[in-house]
Amino acid sequence: MEQAALKVSSLAKSYNGRRVLDDVDFEVKRGELVAFLGANGSGKSTTLKCVAGLAEPDAGRIELEGAQLSEFSGRQLQLARSKAAMVFQKIHLVPRRTALDNVCAGALARVNSLASVSPLFFSRELREEAMGCLERVGMADRALDRVGRLSGGQQQRVAVARALCQRASVLLADEPVSALDPNAAEHVMELLAELAHNENLAVAAVLHQPDLALRHADRAIGLMHGRITFDGPVASLNQNVLDTLYSPERNAA
Amino acid sequence: MSIQTPPRPLDTALESASVRTPAPAKLPVPADPHRGRKAMLWGTATAVIVVLHLLAVAGTDFDPTLLVDGWQGMARFVSGAFPPNLDWEEVIKPGLDATLVTLWIGLLGTTLSIPSALLLAVLASRTTSPHPVAYQISRAILSFFRAVPDIVFALIFVTAVGLGPFAGVLALICHNTGVMGKLWAESMEETDQGPQDALATAGASRLQQITHGSLPLVIPQFVGLLLYRFDVNVRSSLVLGLVGAGGIGLLINQAIKSFQFDTMLTHIIIVLILIIVVDQASGFIRRKLAV
Ligand SMILES: Nc1ncnc2c1ncn2[C@@H]1O[C@H](COP(=O)(O)OP(=O)(O)O)[C@@H](O)[C@H]1O
Ligand SMILES: [Mg+2]
Repeated sequence: MEQAALKVSSLAKSYNGRRVLDDVDFEVKRGELVAFLGANGSGKSTTLKCVAGLAEPDAGRIELEGAQLSEFSGRQLQLARSKAAMVFQKIHLVPRRTALDNVCAGALARVNSLASVSPLFFSRELREEAMGCLERVGMADRALDRVGRLSGGQQQRVAVARALCQRASVLLADEPVSALDPNAAEHVMELLAELAHNENLAVAAVLHQPDLALRHADRAIGLMHGRITFDGPVASLNQNVLDTLYSPERNAA
Repeated sequence: MSIQTPPRPLDTALESASVRTPAPAKLPVPADPHRGRKAMLWGTATAVIVVLHLLAVAGTDFDPTLLVDGWQGMARFVSGAFPPNLDWEEVIKPGLDATLVTLWIGLLGTTLSIPSALLLAVLASRTTSPHPVAYQISRAILSFFRAVPDIVFALIFVTAVGLGPFAGVLALICHNTGVMGKLWAESMEETDQGPQDALATAGASRLQQITHGSLPLVIPQFVGLLLYRFDVNVRSSLVLGLVGAGGIGLLINQAIKSFQFDTMLTHIIIVLILIIVVDQASGFIRRKLAV
């Protein structure tokens, strides 16, 4: 059987003594787009952050491309982790820099020391690779525009290009389209699905709307109060499942 | 508004709307349980401020009558200053030369403190500091350089490198490192940490996260603060001249000591022009950057 690109087992995390993730197990394989669904506060972002290293799990195993993260530390851990790239709702590009420079920054883990100081020293080779990534997301014609001048949808596509330039095989996307208008959201979701299906990436995307998952994802994982309560193909996501998944939010509201 | 004009459609619409919408019901306002405490607080604050001012008046021998009685002294001073001495060889040319020195002291004092201020700012900003110990130490260093006035640094450096502009430059570098480093650290702490986090997940080193994620976000603020400090430092270097650090400040001091008030006035006018030019120039650049 094919090995999963991302395998998470028994992941647990508490904030201030409150359990936020409890015994979370899941896998994401290359070639599939997995949607994470669940009410606000159910632990979706925390799950992705633990994988990306933006949050420290209390317990559990995280394997990226077969490498068990807890076996590494320091620089080695950073490099092992860079197999997974993260795309954020708030995009987190540098607005004053060009799309091209922002995309090149995805490759910082493998550049020489001069390029660490300034984009002026990014090599021609790296720039060409970044152009290829921009082309892949349909933004090559805006390569030299400052990111701040691009629309939200265009910025998010540049952020995806940065993830590609990182040469990651796992793409973690936390509400990548929540801040976009429906049209741009549709484009970005199509892009993520293409990357999974055509480029054989493993894509894990937190989605705020179940219908986005139904249209674009292959599989859905449902979280409730920090526990996985659903894991199956989107075809089996019926109204009953969704009602249960989002019931905490309804009760709170 | 005259009564005769027929109501326009909008007026009619508003009128009928106001007829249909009932006024919101009125409810009694609950008594504020903290009312007494608030009154106490305000009373105490006022009393403290008044007492502080009385103490300050006593402590500074504050006495406006002295000013009235001593007006002749000032009048002699002012009448001695007019008309300003506009002799080119004796007054204006040396004044312009010295003003240039003042400007150079301000410039070097500002730019040469960039490396030290930048390093300390990165270490002293919670978002970029590599370690809590580095954070505390760099904060302490910045506080020290900020707390010691540039004029004290100047007096110290004069004993080492002698009277002259170089001592002024060294003094400004020290004091400005403290002030600018603190201002820069604060503006780093206020900026979005998102891009830095994003690069961290991409496997970027700490230094790379700063140079490609944090610093590019704060460059406009940094340059704005740098220009502001240049403005301040040029004015400080005037005062440093008074204690022997060269420049136009020194000439003004000499003119006063030898009772050449008309020469002093010319020099002050030159300084005034310098200050206005520097202020306008730095304001212009800051406006351009803000766009
Ligand atoms: N840095 C943090 N400090 C304290 N509590 C946090 C932090 N991040 C998240 N939480 C809490 O953890 C829970 C899960 O948050 P999150 O993973 O962001 O949920 P989701 O993304 O599903 O909306 C929430 O109750 C949230 O308040
Ligand atoms: Mg979230």
